[in-house]
Amino acid sequence: MSFKKNTDVLLKIRDLKIQGYSDETWVDIIKGVDLTLHRGEVMGLIGESGAGKSTIGAAAMGYARDGTRIVEGSSIEFDGIELTTSTEGEKRALRGSRIAYVAQSAAASFNPAHKLIDQHTEAPVQYRIKKRLEAQEDAIELYERLRLPNPGEIGFRYPHQVSGGQLQRAMTAMAMSCRPDLIIFDEPTTALDVTTQIEVLAAIRDIVDQFNTAAIYITHDLAVVAQMADTIKVLLRGEEVEEAPTDQMLENPQEDYTKSLWAVRSFTSEQKHRPTDGTPPLISVKNVDASYSNGPKILDDVSFDIYQGMTVAVVGESGSGKSTTARVITGLLPPSKGEVLFKGEPFPASYKDRSKDQLRQCQMIYQMADTALNPKVQISEIIGRPAQFYSGLKGTALKTRVDELLDLIELEPSKYYNRYPPELSGGQKQRIGIARALAAEPSFIVCDEVTSALDQLVAEGILRLLDRLQNELNLAYMFITHDLATVRSIADEVVVMQNGQVVEQGPKDDMFTPPHHPYTDLLLSSVPEMDPNWLTTLLEERGVDNIGDAASAKIDPDDDKVEGTQV
Amino acid sequence: MIFVILYFALLLLLSCGAAYYNQRSAFLLLFSLTLVSLVLAIIGGIPALRFVAIAAGMLLAAGMMSYAFREFLTALASDEMAKELRTAPLTAAFGMFVIFVVAIMGIFAPAIAPYGEAEIVSQAFAPPDNNMLLGADQLGRDMFSRIIYGARNTVALALCGTVLAFILGAMAGLLAATKGGYFDGFMGRMADVIMSIPSLIFALLMLSIFGGSLASPQTSSWLLFGFAVVVGLLFLAAAAYSLVSWLVGAAIVAGVAFAFALAGTTIFNASEIILILVVAIIYSPRVFRLTRAVAGNVVVMDYIEAAKLRGEKNWYLIRREILPNSTAPLVAEFGLEFCFVFLLIAGLSFLGLGIQPPTADWGSMVRENATLISFGEITPLIPAAAIALLTVAVNFVVDWMLHRSSGLKE
Repeated sequence: MSFKKNTDVLLKIRDLKIQGYSDETWVDIIKGVDLTLHRGEVMGLIGESGAGKSTIGAAAMGYARDGTRIVEGSSIEFDGIELTTSTEGEKRALRGSRIAYVAQSAAASFNPAHKLIDQHTEAPVQYRIKKRLEAQEDAIELYERLRLPNPGEIGFRYPHQVSGGQLQRAMTAMAMSCRPDLIIFDEPTTALDVTTQIEVLAAIRDIVDQFNTAAIYITHDLAVVAQMADTIKVLLRGEEVEEAPTDQMLENPQEDYTKSLWAVRSFTSEQKHRPTDGTPPLISVKNVDASYSNGPKILDDVSFDIYQGMTVAVVGESGSGKSTTARVITGLLPPSKGEVLFKGEPFPASYKDRSKDQLRQCQMIYQMADTALNPKVQISEIIGRPAQFYSGLKGTALKTRVDELLDLIELEPSKYYNRYPPELSGGQKQRIGIARALAAEPSFIVCDEVTSALDQLVAEGILRLLDRLQNELNLAYMFITHDLATVRSIADEVVVMQNGQVVEQGPKDDMFTPPHHPYTDLLLSSVPEMDPNWLTTLLEERGVDNIGDAASAKIDPDDDKVEGTQV
Repeated sequence: MIFVILYFALLLLLSCGAAYYNQRSAFLLLFSLTLVSLVLAIIGGIPALRFVAIAAGMLLAAGMMSYAFREFLTALASDEMAKELRTAPLTAAFGMFVIFVVAIMGIFAPAIAPYGEAEIVSQAFAPPDNNMLLGADQLGRDMFSRIIYGARNTVALALCGTVLAFILGAMAGLLAATKGGYFDGFMGRMADVIMSIPSLIFALLMLSIFGGSLASPQTSSWLLFGFAVVVGLLFLAAAAYSLVSWLVGAAIVAGVAFAFALAGTTIFNASEIILILVVAIIYSPRVFRLTRAVAGNVVVMDYIEAAKLRGEKNWYLIRREILPNSTAPLVAEFGLEFCFVFLLIAGLSFLGLGIQPPTADWGSMVRENATLISFGEITPLIPAAAIALLTVAVNFVVDWMLHRSSGLKE
């Protein structure tokens, strides 16, 4: 994408093999990967989780995580220095000064007890590149270049006083502090909302370009990598599938696996419409206000309906009150005003007051399958318990039911019956979570970001499964997500939330055709597209200062469209 | 002279061998031992060398014993246990071996011990001979037999005290974490009150009021009954959900508590029961705090929320969801608390308030034979060494378990 100023080879990895220790043997994680990176080049590493993207990223710094080792015979040559044979001291001198690393979660990677700028200046002062004051001035300049608001002052805040997107940019600035030759970005925007993601992407792209820094950009989001990288390398289970310049890779992928990755976004379920015979909605949220223990109002006059057999997607940035709405419906957070109706009958506000049958009607699938399944309980009991609890099944009847449910979620019953959750992959865990919800034979399921922790291929499998189950069992879904691609593929109706209010709602086809509410418009236009020039075009349209937080703050609450959104 | 020649020849051979086969750390150890031995031989002469040789030999024997014992356990255990055991360090295997030996000693004490614990078989402070492996104590009772009986008495009391402390503390902690609110606050303040009293002073106070030689069987059985009722009420608070279940539960609790008190009084005598109860009350707040902290981390997980939304009662939550996820730190804490309880009982017995004579007990045996130390005899040190050995052994095992439960790697 950028003009090559100096195109010497910077990083040369040959036949990289990394092994991990598990079950008392060394297992190959990376099985002989080659990689060549020139100065100023940005290489995107993509692949599903477990493909070894992050492991390769760490290996580029000569680092192997605890419990892994770089096999002899691998070669990692950074600017003529062989990292596999150099001592720990030599590698330490490179890291931070010549190779920098930007982690996925900036919030977890900054030390919460020190100010941003103190952490920023640590590396240059340590390597005696700059004096402290000089480094601080440089930091402020970098903050300015990364378009952080109030660059002169923001560095003197603590990490918790800064928003997620700003923190991620501050971390990029920190990586830049010694003007390294190579930066490794490990999923820097995965944890961010689409609107925030843009500002980070734009900032990273600019700064890498300005300093002619080489970068390895690790992500599982193809559209993002298309914006950032000059070349793309696709990985699968520790092996390289193919590598090509971005344009070529997008237009003409060679391998079947790459094609399947590209095809992921094609899944759409048929859109259903509300029944016209006057049956009451299954779940009806009526003018609900809610807050956590006398705090500020999180939900403000939220109303929407969910009909039998339909999927309602609730979208919005984090903090917009999506999950809180789900908590109100399930009864975990009794509303301070308004009520929830089930088939026209009011639902008791707290789950403690609901009858067994009311509880069974409304089930939940969680975002993090890791924390949603008890790691010390066998699959058979996780799924069997709701069936036993609600339907009173016992013995063989219970076992048959569990087998049936495992069949339903496409997992082999005999193989998984006695396993524990930690022995399963992310996608399998999420399937078990679905089976647990189904075991109660509900009519309504809340899906809270069920696919956002999963890779695209796995996520697509889950979406197909949910869609199939909906058609077979006539389930209604409330689908909470911030990923509009997911909405496009599975939703029948869409509810857009911002700051605890419903800003727009309606059938999917209406929602995805203009004119939109400005906030919906912002969300929609912020979703990265596969076109490598998308970000450039978008920035030209919106202007560099009108992205992210700035853009959502600008929406005028008195806009016509805001007034007339109730369907 | 031959010993010295053999000694140095062996050390040099071993260190040369280690150097030849590139065993860097082994070579450094062996050769530095050789150098130190040279200096020692000049300063201390042959006895010093002999001491080093014996110490090294014992260390080696202990190491080999632990290694063999670990292999033995691995061979016997089921597949999954074997996998865990294989990762155990040698120290843990040594600890398990010692615990195993003490357990055998305690269980089969009458069969192993040549004499009874209160039997006077020779004159006071008789030196060791073929009949009495470790000599006699201040009344002429066989030291070896008393050590074996002591394992039974001291360890059984410490074990009972720890188990009771755990049942009370863990149940209260789990319930506090699950229920939260006022109940949590109340239990927390109760724990604070007990912990604010220095434990040794509290024990001395309680034992001088109820215990010692003045302990009456009535008082002790009533106290035991009361303790069981308190624990039972905690269980009831977790399990009962309606008035009927409260009433039925209360009846069951009363019955079980009565049976428990009856069983307690038949197994132990009055002063021992008081001792167990005092220990249980002193140590339960610590268990409470740990359990509450561990369970507090578990109750915020999504799977607990899912179970609550399913309509599960507290009892199911505690039993099936929280407890399986808190066992690892609790088991480790059990081992640790056992050591403290054991030492406290030994200490109290040393002060004369614990286990009453003539019952054999390691702590009081140290006190009874303490005068002998001024004559350069090691007799009083033998029960002291037994206490130390068991404590260290349990700690070795606990260290391993803590390491495992913390998920640290190297």
